[in-house]
Amino acid sequence: MDERLSFEEALGRLENIVQRLEAGGLTLEEAIALFEEGMGLAKICNERLDAAELKISQLQSALEQKLESEGEALDKS
Amino acid sequence: MRIYSVAEVTRYLRELLEADSMLADLWISGEVSNLSESAAGHLYFTLKDEASQLRCVLFHRARLALTLESGTAVVAHGRISIYEVSGTLQFYVDLVQPEGVGMLHLEFERLKAKLADEGLFEPARKRPLPPFPERIGVVTSPTGAVFHDIANIVGRRYPLVELVLSPTPVQGDSAAEGIIQALDTLNNIEGIDLVILARGGGSLEELWAFNEEKVARAIYASRVPVISGVGHDTDFTIADFVADVRAPTPSAAAELAVPHRAELEGRIQSHRKALAAALSGDLDRHRQRIDELTRSASMHLRNFMIISREKLGSRETELASLSPLATLGRGYALVQHSATGEVVSRIAQVERGDAIDIKVSDGQFVGRVTGSKKGLQAWMNGFPSKKR
Repeated sequence: MDERLSFEEALGRLENIVQRLEAGGLTLEEAIALFEEGMGLAKICNERLDAAELKISQLQSALEQKLESEGEALDKS
Repeated sequence: MRIYSVAEVTRYLRELLEADSMLADLWISGEVSNLSESAAGHLYFTLKDEASQLRCVLFHRARLALTLESGTAVVAHGRISIYEVSGTLQFYVDLVQPEGVGMLHLEFERLKAKLADEGLFEPARKRPLPPFPERIGVVTSPTGAVFHDIANIVGRRYPLVELVLSPTPVQGDSAAEGIIQALDTLNNIEGIDLVILARGGGSLEELWAFNEEKVARAIYASRVPVISGVGHDTDFTIADFVADVRAPTPSAAAELAVPHRAELEGRIQSHRKALAAALSGDLDRHRQRIDELTRSASMHLRNFMIISREKLGSRETELASLSPLATLGRGYALVQHSATGEVVSRIAQVERGDAIDIKVSDGQFVGRVTGSKKGLQAWMNGFPSKKR
C-alpha cells in the first residue's frame, strides 16, 4: 500500500471500500482483498493522526523584506 | 498670452478637483439650510458653519429613507466637484447622518452599504473550506497570543497541517497595508489551502484596519478561501462580511479551519466496524451457499442410493430366477468332469471310467462313467417322470 498517501486520500479510499463491500455482489476473494486493504487504510489513517506533529513556519513581513533590501542596497554602496 | 473659454476653465477645474483623492472621498459636518427638492426627487441644500457655506446635492438614487430638515446638524459623505453648466462648486453627497454619531460608525455603515451593493458580501460568492487542509496561512501579528492560540488549537485538533505565519501589524497606520501584503504573499505561495485572518479583541479604533476598504478588496481578491476571526464574538468588521467564513474569535477560526481528530478517529473506527460487518456478511452468505449446496448434494446422493437399491433388488430377483440353483431344484443336475472341472454337456467329453462330479440342489456326489449312448431318444427313456 502506498505509504505516501495523504490522510485525506487514505480516508477517501477507505470510505469507498466500505461502500463497495456494503453494496455486495463481490466474489469472496474480492471481498477479502478489499477488507484487507480497508483495514490497512484505517491503520494508515490512525498512524498519520498519531504520528503527526504540527509544523510551523514564518514568512518575512513586507517590512522586513523592505529593510533587508535597503540593507543590501547599503552594503553595495 | 492664451485666452481660455469658460468651458475650458470649468472643465480644467473639474478635472483638477476630481483628481484629488481627498476630495473624492470625504466627510463634512455642518448645518443644513436652503433645502429644496427637485421634481426628479433630488435634494439641493447648503451646508454651512460660522465661517462658510458649501452647495450640496443629494441625488434621488442615494437618498434611501432619509428625511432632511433645514437647521439640523449633519455629517455628510461624498465628493467635491464642479457643476460645469453653472460653474458652481458642489458637494455631491451620497450619505447623510445626524451629527453626534461617531465618525468610525458612520464610515463603517457607509462602507458596509457600498460593498454590499457591489456584491462583495454575496453568499453565493463564499467558497467552501477544504475539509482536510494541508497548509494554512495565518495573517496576524507575530507577537501576542493570537498566533500561539491558533497553533495550539490546530495542533491539538488536527496536527497534519503546516501553519504558515505571514506576519503583519494588526493595528496602527501600517496595519491595513501590512495585512494586504501578508495576504498577497500567502496567495503567491504554492499549496496554501486556506488563510486565517485574525486579531484579538480591541476597540473599534484598534480593529479599524479590518474595516478599511482596501483590506476588504484584498480579502475579496484572495485566491484561497479566507476565515476571519477578529476581536470578540460581538465585534463585526467589514473583513468579517467579505471573508468566506466569519469566525467570532481567532480561536474559533482555528477550530473552523481543521477537522477534529476525535471525530476523525470515530469515523475511522466506524469504517473498520463496517468493513468487518460487511466481510462477515459476505462470509455468511458464502457459508450459507456452501450449506445449501452440501444439503442438496447429500439429498441427491441419498436419492441415488435409494434408486440404486431398488434397482439392485429387482436385479437380484432377476438373477435368482436365472440361477442354475432353481433349475437344480426342479431335479436337473450339473455334471462336471472331476479332473478338469469342465461342464459336461456332450457325451464326447467323457470316456468310460472318467470320474465326474454331479451337482444337485443340496450338494454334490461323485460318479464314474460306465457307458454312453448317443441320441436324445436314449436319455428321454430314462427321464424321472417316465419312471414307473
